[in-house]
This record gives sequence, structure tokens and C-alpha cells, in this order.
Amino acid sequence: MAMRRVRVIGCGSPDGADDAAGLLAARAAARRLAGVPGMEVVEAGPAIRVLDLLAGVDAVVAVDAVRTRGGARPPGRLVRVDGDADVLGRALPGTASSHGVGLADVVRLGAALGFAPQVVFVGVEAGRVGAGAGLSAEVRRALPALVSMVEAEALSLSEEVRR
Amino acid sequence: MTHTVARTPNRVVEIPSIARVEGEGALHLKLSGSRILDLRLEIYEPPRFFESFLVGRRYDEVPDIVPRICGICPVAYQMSAVHGIERLFETDVPAGTRELRRLLYCGEWIESHMLHVHLLAAPDYLGCESAITMAATEREALERGLAIKRLGNDLMAAIGGREIHPVSPRVGGFSKAPATRELRSFLPRLEEALSRTEEVAAWVAGFDPPAFARPAELVGLWHPDEYPMNEGAVRSTQGREFPAERFEDVVEELHVPHSNALHARFRDGGTFGGGSYVVGPLARVNLNADTLTPVARALATRLGLTVPQADPFWSTAARVVETALAVEEAIRLIRDYEQPAPPAADVRPRAGRATWVTEAPRGILYHRYDLDDEGIVREARIVPPTSQNLRHMEDDLRAFLPSALDRDDDELGRLAEMIVRTYDPCISCATHFLTLEVQRT
Repeated sequence: MAMRRVRVIGCGSPDGADDAAGLLAARAAARRLAGVPGMEVVEAGPAIRVLDLLAGVDAVVAVDAVRTRGGARPPGRLVRVDGDADVLGRALPGTASSHGVGLADVVRLGAALGFAPQVVFVGVEAGRVGAGAGLSAEVRRALPALVSMVEAEALSLSEEVRR
Repeated sequence: MTHTVARTPNRVVEIPSIARVEGEGALHLKLSGSRILDLRLEIYEPPRFFESFLVGRRYDEVPDIVPRICGICPVAYQMSAVHGIERLFETDVPAGTRELRRLLYCGEWIESHMLHVHLLAAPDYLGCESAITMAATEREALERGLAIKRLGNDLMAAIGGREIHPVSPRVGGFSKAPATRELRSFLPRLEEALSRTEEVAAWVAGFDPPAFARPAELVGLWHPDEYPMNEGAVRSTQGREFPAERFEDVVEELHVPHSNALHARFRDGGTFGGGSYVVGPLARVNLNADTLTPVARALATRLGLTVPQADPFWSTAARVVETALAVEEAIRLIRDYEQPAPPAADVRPRAGRATWVTEAPRGILYHRYDLDDEGIVREARIVPPTSQNLRHMEDDLRAFLPSALDRDDDELGRLAEMIVRTYDPCISCATHFLTLEVQRT
């Protein structure tokens, strides 16, 4: 069984209220995943930064806050999307994301350029948005579960037999 | 991009989300026949929050806080802050600090310009919906551009300690300066990148942007001896010149009802009325053509970029020219590099007003900090390049769109987006959200 190279990528903005959740989850997961061979945890900030991070690994766990169109999910609800760029694209339409390019766009662009690691997206539904505020109570309560989910996904991808 | 159309009696074009803009934006356009009844560029600009967030912080926390305003141009925010505060404190920074800061800025220009040219602008000029569809036909060009961009990121990480929000710049110098050998290892990549900028120019020379000539006052830093990044006087193409400390005497920021971002304008109304002006790479090339470096100058010729040039669609060419300049400057600065020792000077706070202007990739970035005698921030004012361009972007849309009203709404929307995008607006670097669509089977 070959150990796979896995990169956990935290997305978000540190001062964006619940938008910080992805960064905070990656930071916490980094402590738990330290020392796992082939494992790397990075904080990427805006989604466009993720493009460079898709190269050179077999699998990626991307973690970010999300907003469901129409508010169909309660704040703090965890979300998992596993699939290729098209599946991700359907689940995470990019145009509403800032920085012009959303995460699904970035994964699709990476695939078009020849780097297409397996991508598992882990997210938490945001409650409070906007600069300056801290995490909402709902997202704060969900954070430990989000960290555990990131950790479990990363370990599972790391141990998976290379396809 | 979704358009809502109501054809009678008036035509309404709404672009609720402008794609490929750094941030979120919306354009509302209301037309009656060939008349524009209403045009509003609506944007969301949370960085204003930082001005109040900075109050009560000590001067040495400022360089750690301000880069968080923008994930694409964090260096610009640090540079305007540290230079302004050092001038107030009369800090004598160690030899080599000035050069290392310029090198750091080169990394950010390379990164930001190549991102814009390849992922944001090129699809407009090649008739592609996005960089993703463009990748099918332009893969080699995209890979070349992203490799040069990556070099910019790597330079920022080597000097700044990390690339997203650099940690080493501080008031007084750097907390840690990179070793000479580490920087020298960049030279082969930079030499290669410089030759590849010529290929980028050849590619961009094949673009066919619309022509859009309209008088404009272009504003940027000017420096007698070098192409300006970290220092210089503010100048305009219409002969205006003033130092950073007079910025707020010359420029005012207005609340406009339709936007939570402020619009900057000249208090005296500007040369062409309305007070709007333009900042950014095209303004810099216009003001500093004399100090372009050799390859940058050659690329400007190859691209057909001559000054004066106020057509905003020439900004893409200007970004290519400035990328070559930043690579050439990086090579020179690394060859001459001597590691500053110690990396930072001692700093003695004093009360007063710190002001400075540097050239962010998107244009001049003004910072002002009012500090007390312990160096605590009592008031902060940050005027980013995008808020300076906003008013001009709206004026451009008003001037340009009437000539295109015979186009269908999709095409009209596409042209409007192209105008907005050519300014590379960084509309809300502090927010970014994915919208999730729930699918159940």
C-alpha cells in the first residue's frame, strides 16, 4: 500500500466572520495531522490561491465556509462533496464567490491544465457574514466537528491505495 | 453572469455578479432607447472595517494587520504602512532595506499582473467565457503565465516569510532578511522568466481589444531615478503634483448612495470634470516611460504601447510591460543584494501623522495613521486603488455603452464587464464566499 501525498487546504479570510472557519479548521487539523507521512496542511486564503496547490499531490481536502443559495441549510451544518470537477462545480457554483474564481472553477482549471488530484470538499454553512465580526455561535459550535471531519478525510485519503 | 431583461417601455440590464473581478460587484443599467437612465456600479467593500479595527493598536501591530485586507496584494498594504510610520518616527533603516522592500514589491507585481493578464483579462480578448474554456486552446500560454506568476509568489514567500500574508516586514526594516545565497538561487528562474515575458508580449499583441479614446487624468507616483514602487511624488498626466501628506487636501472620498464603498475624486473637480481620475499600471507607464527598464521598454514597443495613452484597454499591455520591468529589477536587486545586518533598526515612537503612498499593482495606495506618543493608532485612513478608480469606471461605462446599445443584452453585458475588469478592481478582498446549490437525488 503506497502512502499518498495529501494536502489539506484551508480557504477563507481571517477577518470575515464565519468565512474564517476554513482557515481555523485547517490550523487545528494541522496540529492533529503533524507527522503523518506525505501530509501537508496549508492556509490558502482566497480560492485563486488554491490553483498552485493542486499540483504535486495525489489528493486534496479543501475546507471552507459556504452559503447555500436560498439559505436552505441552517448555519453550522457540515457539508461534504466528493467528486471530480464537474460534481464539485454542480455543488459549488463559482460565480457568486469573490475573487472572480470560485473553488470549483479553480479545480476545473487545474484539471484543464493537467493537474487533477482527487478533491474532497468539506464545508460549514456560514451564519454571520461580513468583515470584522467573529464566528457566529452556530459555526463556533460546529468547528470541532469540522476539524474532525477534515482530519478523518485527510487520513482516509492518505491511506487509500493509489488508484 | 445573469441578465434580467425588461424590454418595454425601458430596457434594464442587470449584471448581478461581475465575473472575474477580484471581489464582488454588480452593475445596474437602465436604458430608454439610446439613453442611459441610470447606471450604478454597486460594490461591497469591507476593508473599511480595518480603519476602525486599527484604532487602539500599536504601530508595530499595523504591518501584521493591514496585509489581511487583501489576499492578492498584501505587500502593498505593508509597504504604505511601514514607510509612513518610519518617516514620522525618523527611523534610519539599515542599508539594504530599501532594496529588499523593492524586491518584495517586484514579487507582488509579477504575481498580481500575471494573474490578471492570464486568468482575468485574456478570456475577454480571446472570446472565451472563462480561463477554464480558454485552457483548451491556450494551454501553453496559460502554463507559461502561471509559471511566471508562481515565481512572483515564491519571491514573496522567500522575502516575506510566507506568501499569503508576509510576516517579515516591520517598522524599522525586516524581522528576518533572507540570506544572499537563498536569493541568488532565484536568478536562473528570473532569467528564464524574463525571456518568457517576450513570449507573453507576443501573445498579448495578438489580442484585439476595443478602442476607447476619452480624455482622462491618470495619476501615479513619479520618481526621477527609477520606476516608482515604494516612493515618489504623486503626479498626474495633466501636470498635477503633490506629496503624500497633501493627499487628503487634494482628494476627497464620497459616500455614494448605491455603494458601500467610497468613491475618491479630486476636490477641485479634476481636469475633465466630475473629479474622476485613473490609477494603475497604465497611469504609471504614462508618467514614468523614461525610467522603464530595457526589456520593458522593448516590450512596450512590441505591443505598440506609446504614451500618452489613456484608453483603459491598454492596461493589459501595461501589465505585461511592468511584469518584465519587475523581473528585470528583481535580477538587478538580487545581483547587488547585501543582507541587511541587523535586519531592523531600533524604533522610537513619537506622536504625529504618518502618511505615505506606494504603488500597489492596481495603483496608488494611500495610508494615514494618527499616532500618539506611545505609537498607538488614534485614527487610520486607507484609500485603496479600487476606490480611486470606481468613479472613473462608472464614467467610462456611461461614455462607452451608448455606442454599443444596438448589441443584445449578453453582448452589452460582456462589454460592460470588460471595461470594469480592465481596471482589475479589487472589490472585496476580505470576503469570499461559495454559494452552495443543494442537489437531492
